Amino acid sequence: MAAHAEAAIEIEARRSWGRSYFTRRYLLVLPPMVIMVLFLIGGIFADVIAPGDPGQTHLLSRLEAPVFSGGTSEFPLGTDHVGRDIWTRIVHGARVSLIVVAIVVPGAALFGTAVGMFAGWRGGIVGQLLMRYVDVQLALPAILFAVLLGAVLGASLRNVIIILLVWTWTVYARLIRAEVLSLKEREFVVASLAAGGSNWWIMRKQLLPNVFNTIVVVMTLEIPIVIVAEASLSFLGVGAPVEQATWGRMITEARNYLTHAWWVMWMPGLALMLVALSGNLVGDWLRDLLDPRLRNLG
Amino acid sequence: MQFANLLLVRLLQTVVVIWVVVSIVFVVSRLIGNPETSLMPWDATNEDYERIREKLGLNDPLIVQYGKFLGDAVQGDLGFSYHRTGPAIDIVADKVLGTVKLTAAGLIVALGLGLPLGVLAALRRGSPMDWLARLVAVFGQATPSFWLGLMLIFFLATKVSWFPTAGAEGFRSLVLPAFALGLLSAAGFMRLTRSGMIDVMNTDFIRTARAKGLNERTVIMRHGLRHALIPVMTILGIELGRLIAGSVIIEVVFSWPGIGRLMIESILQSDYPTVQAGLVVIAASITLGNLIVDMTYRVIDPRIRMAAL
Repeated sequence: MAAHAEAAIEIEARRSWGRSYFTRRYLLVLPPMVIMVLFLIGGIFADVIAPGDPGQTHLLSRLEAPVFSGGTSEFPLGTDHVGRDIWTRIVHGARVSLIVVAIVVPGAALFGTAVGMFAGWRGGIVGQLLMRYVDVQLALPAILFAVLLGAVLGASLRNVIIILLVWTWTVYARLIRAEVLSLKEREFVVASLAAGGSNWWIMRKQLLPNVFNTIVVVMTLEIPIVIVAEASLSFLGVGAPVEQATWGRMITEARNYLTHAWWVMWMPGLALMLVALSGNLVGDWLRDLLDPRLRNLG
Repeated sequence: MQFANLLLVRLLQTVVVIWVVVSIVFVVSRLIGNPETSLMPWDATNEDYERIREKLGLNDPLIVQYGKFLGDAVQGDLGFSYHRTGPAIDIVADKVLGTVKLTAAGLIVALGLGLPLGVLAALRRGSPMDWLARLVAVFGQATPSFWLGLMLIFFLATKVSWFPTAGAEGFRSLVLPAFALGLLSAAGFMRLTRSGMIDVMNTDFIRTARAKGLNERTVIMRHGLRHALIPVMTILGIELGRLIAGSVIIEVVFSWPGIGRLMIESILQSDYPTVQAGLVVIAASITLGNLIVDMTYRVIDPRIRMAAL
């Protein structure tokens, strides 16, 4: 009900802003899109863009300033406390984030959708139990369980991916279940059932196409969440192993040099914030375009 | 009658949630982790290991361990901390006040920033105020909280020394962590208040209130805002949970003495009894917080009082 009211308000707001709303919206979403594409390219071609070894230390050039702040072009964004090139580490950090996103987001979407479909369509005791579990997990601070799992499993990229998969699939399950529950009552689905359509056929041909937009929108919105979650785990010391350059770990290590070498913390922090912000803006835009009902998802 | 039933059902749910939490921690710590290795010095002999396993009951079959553990937990005994002295639950209880303070301050920031911004943005749509509010919302939603905390420390505690960089001494040390914690929720409250106010200011009863000559202030505060606050109340419980969860990272960033930081430390030290006790306390406070918000909500808005769960 609230969602309808909000959608109506938005439509009204758009009208009052004039016809240029959509063109303006395009212009607004362009910069974040460019940043996301750069993030993608940076992650994929990390070895080409920054051919150096991200772990290579230069003990004679520790805490060197970036080139625009009095440094040399050898280290365009400066160096950290053991003389590692920050630019190289940021680019390779983007690769780590990208790998995590590329596995976690589709993986969680697949599993969450499957559970949501099952719980919505078949229900039963198993469905109920699954959804109760989802409720419990969504109600508790995921970060604590993630750190617990991380501490027990040990630091590795594979474990980070496992943790984030466990962390994020519930969102899809809950939403898809709700959608399927309402689709179930719709006439075209009831008609298919009456005409003898098999469960599998209805799920594939009628339910999935109808929840597809929701899945795409939530996946987009989950990209920045997963990136920030991975960085948070690294920040708390249970993320990827020490030898891997990640944005979260770079920020943690830089905390002690906050006062006299600002760039060590600011460079990875800005990268993280820009990507998270852009992902959010692109996600919002896509949601308004494809599935405005999800607006009050928060 | 129905109210009492509802209360009972929700209390039962709380118990189930806590049981699930305790079980998860049990499974994770006993099946995957080795509690005894974290307790022993590096030169411990095999006999030493055998002794400690016997002492902790780790040689019993898992199901026996689980039964014993649940039995103790029901009686409020969550074991002794492996790394600190004293029962785990007492160590956690010591830190409760810190987290409560921080969460409450975060909630005050969230509401104190979100509601006025939302109202102002709604009343002057398309104005610079509206754009500022949207900007706060976008940034609040996208900025990782630990990064926001570090930026606040950088600008307000090291560039100018208005606030301390860490610790919990006095009111001033609470300002930065509360802000870093509350901004995300402020963004949510802002958006809801804004759309709620836009919605309500076009209704007939607002026109009536204006027509009978009330001044605009009264119309907005007494008639408009009151109505717009209902959706805010709905998500208050969820936001409270988010704030408690968010306080974990904020406590680490600001070295704030609370449950979150204790838990992270305990997890990294494999101090499972403390972790268990901490998770039980957090789970209980989140579900109970939700319950209280839900009940208040039903009292405030009689229309949903009769609705089911």
